Amino acid sequence: MSKKFKILALVASALLMSSVAQARESTSEWLISFDRMKGVKPVTDKKYAKECGECHFAYQPGLLPAKSWEKLLDAKALKNHFGENAELDEATLQEIQAYAAENAAETSWYKRSRKIAVATEKGPAPLRITELRYISRVHHEIPEKMIKGNKDVKSLSQCNACHTQAAKGVFDSDTVSIPNYPDFD
Amino acid sequence: MKLKSSIKLKHTLAGLCLFAATGLAQAADLDLSVPNDKSATQSFVLAANEPANANLPASVTNGSPKVEFEEPWFSGDKLHQYSGFTTLALVAATAFSAPDGCEANCAAVAQQPRQVNGTHAKLAKAAAAMAAFTVTTGLIDHWDDFHMEDGFSDPDNLHAMLGTAGALMMMYAVNKSANSAVPVSHAGIAELGGFAMAFAVKLTW
Repeated sequence: MSKKFKILALVASALLMSSVAQARESTSEWLISFDRMKGVKPVTDKKYAKECGECHFAYQPGLLPAKSWEKLLDAKALKNHFGENAELDEATLQEIQAYAAENAAETSWYKRSRKIAVATEKGPAPLRITELRYISRVHHEIPEKMIKGNKDVKSLSQCNACHTQAAKGVFDSDTVSIPNYPDFD
Repeated sequence: MKLKSSIKLKHTLAGLCLFAATGLAQAADLDLSVPNDKSATQSFVLAANEPANANLPASVTNGSPKVEFEEPWFSGDKLHQYSGFTTLALVAATAFSAPDGCEANCAAVAQQPRQVNGTHAKLAKAAAAMAAFTVTTGLIDHWDDFHMEDGFSDPDNLHAMLGTAGALMMMYAVNKSANSAVPVSHAGIAELGGFAMAFAVKLTW
C-alpha cells in the first residue's frame, strides 16, 4: 500500500478516535460486538426504571451527557423537577445519580448517545432532551397537531408514545407509529 | 476495451450524480434548519417537559403504545442497510477470488493475457456498483442525518464520509485495473475502500 493511503488511513483513524475516545465502554468489545448499538443503551437499573418511570418515561441516561444528569438529579433541583416535586431519599438518589453518570451519553458506544455526546461536549448542560439540537432537528417536520394536539401524545417528551421500541433504546424511524396518524411517514 | 470500460464508468458516475441530484432536489424543498422563530420555539417548548405535561394520562406517560405496531419489512432505511451488507459480501467475494500472482509490473505476469472479464473482475464491478447504489440510497434516505455543523466526529457524518470514500476508492480501483493492459496494483486501494465501508457500517450499526 502506498504512503498516501497509509496517511489517509491514519487521518481516518484519528477522526474516528476523536468520536469514540469519549466512550468509556471498551473499544475492543464494541469493535467485535455484533449487537445492534444504533440507539441508546436501554435502562437496566430497576430502581432507576421504577423511580423515574413512576411519573414519566424512564429516559435512558444515554440521552443526555453526565453534566446534564448532574444538574437534573441534584437534590435541590428535584424539589422542582419541571414543576413537580420529585424528591427522593438520599440512598435512592445516590444510586440513581451514580447510574445516570455511569451510563451518560459520553460513556456509551451507542450511536445516538455518541451523537448527543459530540453535540453537547461544549456549551452549557442541556436540561431537556427535547432541547438538544439533534433531537429538535429530527422532529421539527412533525406537525404540531400530531404531537401537542394529539390526545395520545401531547408532548414531544413522551418518546414512547410514538417510538414503539423506546424502552429498548431503539428510536429508528421504522419503529415510529404516531397514534391516530398511522399513515404519517 | 479501455474505451468501453471508461464509458461504463462515466455512465455509472452519471447515474450516481443523477440519483444524488434527485435527493438534493427533494432536500431543497425541505426546511432543514432548526426552528428559530418565536412561534416555532414555542411549539417545541410546549412539546417539552413542561409542568403541565406532568399531568398527562398514565396511558401516555407509561407503558407501550396502545396500538400494536409491526415494523415494515421493507423501507428506505432497510434498502440502504441491505445494499450495504450486499456490498460488503461482494467485497469479500472479490478479495477471495483475486488471482494469485504479482501485482507489480512483473515481466512474467505481464506477458500473460489479462483476464478482465473473469470472476474477480465481475465481482469487483458488482461490488463497486453496489457500493455506489448504497451511497445513493443513503443520500436519499438519510439526507437529514448528515449535518456538517455537527462536526467530523459525528457518527452519521463519519458514516457518510467513510461510506462515500470507500465507494469511490472501489470504483477507482476497478477503473484502474480495467483500463490497464498489464497487471496493475489496485488491491490496496480496493481493500482500503472495503475497510472504509465496513467501518462506516460498524459506526452506525
